[in-house]
Amino acid sequence: MEASRFERAAELLLRTRSGEGFGPVPGAPAEAEPTALAAIALDDEAARRWLVQAQHEDGSFGIRTGGVVSTAATSLAALALPPGSERELALDHLIAHPAEKVRTGKDSPGDGSIPGWGWTEGTAGWVEPTSRAILALRRLRPQVTEPIEVGVRYLANRECIGGGWNYGNRLVYDVELPPYGQTTALALVALRGHPSAAELVERGTAALRRLWPVERGPLTLAVTLAAFRLLDLPDAEPVATALDVELEGATVSDAVALAWAAIASGPGLSALELG
Amino acid sequence: MEGFDRRTFLRHAGLVAAGSVAVGVGVTVAGPGIWRRLRRPWDEDAFPPPGSPRVLVARVASYDADLDRTVEAGLREVGADVAGRSVLLKPNLVEYDPDTVINTDPRLVAATVLAVRRLGAASVVVAEGPGHRRDTAFVLNASGLGDALRGAEAPFVDLNAAPVVSVPLRSSYTDLRELWLPRPVVEADVVVSMPKMKTHHWAGATLSLKNCFGCVPGRIYGWPKNLLHWAGIQEAVIDVAAAVRPSVQIVDGIVAMEGNGPIDGTPLHAGLLVFGTDPVATDATAARLMGLDPDRIDYLHEAGRFLGQADPERIRQIGEDPERWITPFELLAEFEHLRVGSTAAPRGGPDGLA
Repeated sequence: MEASRFERAAELLLRTRSGEGFGPVPGAPAEAEPTALAAIALDDEAARRWLVQAQHEDGSFGIRTGGVVSTAATSLAALALPPGSERELALDHLIAHPAEKVRTGKDSPGDGSIPGWGWTEGTAGWVEPTSRAILALRRLRPQVTEPIEVGVRYLANRECIGGGWNYGNRLVYDVELPPYGQTTALALVALRGHPSAAELVERGTAALRRLWPVERGPLTLAVTLAAFRLLDLPDAEPVATALDVELEGATVSDAVALAWAAIASGPGLSALELG
Repeated sequence: MEGFDRRTFLRHAGLVAAGSVAVGVGVTVAGPGIWRRLRRPWDEDAFPPPGSPRVLVARVASYDADLDRTVEAGLREVGADVAGRSVLLKPNLVEYDPDTVINTDPRLVAATVLAVRRLGAASVVVAEGPGHRRDTAFVLNASGLGDALRGAEAPFVDLNAAPVVSVPLRSSYTDLRELWLPRPVVEADVVVSMPKMKTHHWAGATLSLKNCFGCVPGRIYGWPKNLLHWAGIQEAVIDVAAAVRPSVQIVDGIVAMEGNGPIDGTPLHAGLLVFGTDPVATDATAARLMGLDPDRIDYLHEAGRFLGQADPERIRQIGEDPERWITPFELLAEFEHLRVGSTAAPRGGPDGLA
């Protein structure tokens, strides 16, 4: 069953190949995020070559236009690249470019002094890019403890009441905002086993157990499966069954969801292991 | 040289007068806003002066009524030209919460698919890039829109994942200069903005202009699309809408949202649909129906300078008399100053934050 799920996800993912890289959907030009995830999922050398040629001089990966520099894919690219100067340059960029600190108010009551990492340079931090950055640094530069600790503190500050995470707002105008399965799963992938994060992981795991049965989208299920597998929890099995249902039809075209499904079901999961 | 009628002159004169008072209070606060209003941050060649658009206010009691016929009639009444053209319907599909009414009702979206086809559209697609959740398939299906579109045999495009093209901005309220927009949005002949009629705790109101935020791809700008807030939410609404240029609007106010919108507000049965072909005129009318003064919603006031017609005397109201169906929406205290006739002072916005 594992093999067939991986093969199905890989088959659908390969439909998004564009040159040596991978696009976000079939027929789209290659981009850094789906290419990095596909490189991890499929152990794809061509995808790694695409990443190397797509790396910016400053070490980042992503898209630039006008005044916008969208480099949130840098952490994933670092995880996908083999040891070498490109990977080190990507990690240097990640460490040197946390999000901006923001002011705190009723409309955004999180602790704005803990930056995390953002989607675009020069803006606020959010849960998904912060989780990916923590994961890349813990796996590839675990000795750089300060940025990792800042990331963990960010996730602790943005944890939803009762556990788990949404995109990154715990409370707005005194209203508690609920956690989401996908972002909770990703934060768990980043935080598991971190000595300062045991309670966050415990509450997040409990939240994810509640969330995934009602949030049955392919991306949520795929990242949840990866999280439960990496946490070595038996909850992974029913999630895998639900993911099989999502993959049965040919309707899933989101390369990011398909790559996570292949990572969670195949050998690529080892690329997310932490020492 | 832009036509400069008496009303426009008076509005500008009023701004200068108001600015003079404000400068007296505190130049550091009032100065930049005034200077921004005195300059003209848009390419005049790209935005011809607005005419006298028709806006239709229709009373519709429920989503179970003969909705596709109502929508078809509404589009005909306002002169929406979709025959032989590729049409992209852009509803609100931000988030899913079974206990409230965040999104444009799926039955209205499906009815519009049928109506647009009957009006002779060459193709119709429904498209959205949810702003909070990355798992679009989950939101699509949980919200009921997936089933509704399967029933209507209409395709859905996830604008967060679709191929993108870089579009130079023709207005410069923000410093963005260019914007990545999904190819399906750029290539559609007609973009129909279909917002839920909602209060918005940062922008004031979500209507057809603000709804264009959903066209901006999350995989570049993030979840939420924080860059647009960082650039100044009021300014970003204008620049994004001026790039998307939704040429038809259908505002879903059958069951609207008041209070702490756009996510955590309270459902309000207003029983209204608003149709138009000028997003400023449509939004100004919808705002008035909500009890809001469109001139006090910053982005709508500014958009009225170049993106469409905000002058109530030049908007041809058809259908129901809007005055008769005004439902004063509940507002957060921070937005009481937006209400028609309010003497509350603005408390300042959260531009630059999440």
